[in-house]
Amino acid sequence: MTNIFIPASTSSPEVDFQFDQRRLSLKGEAYPENAALFWADIVAAVRQFIQEDKSDAPITVDVALSYFNSSSAKMLFSLFDALNEKAATGSSVILNWFHDEEDDTIYEFGQELCEDFTHLSFHDHATQS
Amino acid sequence: MTAHIPTSNSHQSLHWRICCQSAERHKVIFYYEGYFSQTIIVAVSDAVKMRIEHLGAAGLTRRKLFSSFIEMTQNIIHYSVDAYTRDDSTVFNNEVRHGSICISTDAGRYHLHCANPVHADIAEQLRGKLEHLHTLTLDDIKREYKRTLRAEGPKDSKGAGLGLLTVARDASEPLEFEFMPLPNSEDVLFYLKATI
Repeated sequence: MTNIFIPASTSSPEVDFQFDQRRLSLKGEAYPENAALFWADIVAAVRQFIQEDKSDAPITVDVALSYFNSSSAKMLFSLFDALNEKAATGSSVILNWFHDEEDDTIYEFGQELCEDFTHLSFHDHATQS
Repeated sequence: MTAHIPTSNSHQSLHWRICCQSAERHKVIFYYEGYFSQTIIVAVSDAVKMRIEHLGAAGLTRRKLFSSFIEMTQNIIHYSVDAYTRDDSTVFNNEVRHGSICISTDAGRYHLHCANPVHADIAEQLRGKLEHLHTLTLDDIKREYKRTLRAEGPKDSKGAGLGLLTVARDASEPLEFEFMPLPNSEDVLFYLKATI
């Protein structure tokens, strides 16, 4: 499974999926023109990785998105749904959710993920601006 | 907000007249009218960010303004009628749309006004969604946001339902909207105002 690296653009985040290291990272702002198009390949890659993965070693997901638009919010939900399914099969998936300590929107979205995707090992990280 | 096209000097753009009428006693701090593309949105949002920071708005206000700005302007791209598609699209469907965005301020509050022409059937869809939103309390809106987030969206949707909910959730008042007939056209001018 080839690693994925997409550098950040003015309206899309840096995507650094090191499948071999079992470390996935999303960082920046997400408001691409067509969120479905942008995220579809990313979600598909994660699903493919999950399908092919023979190991049950933990997977770490670091998410530090300072903003995402509504269509990205929807796609992110499906991304974490896929990861949650993986975690349900026994492989531990650690989600580190980073946000500015004053950003309630991002914080609350993380809480939604935590509530819905109970198999993920969710960690909220409030960072100082 | 009155339901007629403001009549005045017809040399002035319709969008500008609408903005001035609804921002009557406010201070207009930003106005853009023209074609909206993703590139333009990114550049304009950058200018808006700097302007609001310069005015000393609180972090929370700046975040909400930016979020509503993006949702409203990306809706212009997705739902406006006045478009032409560039032929050089390889992966992305290059879409540009005509519309206007105005930011005014009054007693510490910020108002985002947005206007763009839409097809009559889109107008009806929007009207339905907005009238429904108007009946909801803030808690209802938050609940509906969570529900919509989890729902299986329509295949071709670019998240418009969730978009309006996002703006409504951050607004300090119910969203104001108006659909105005356009002269010599079956299309409708969709006006939306959010107060933060």
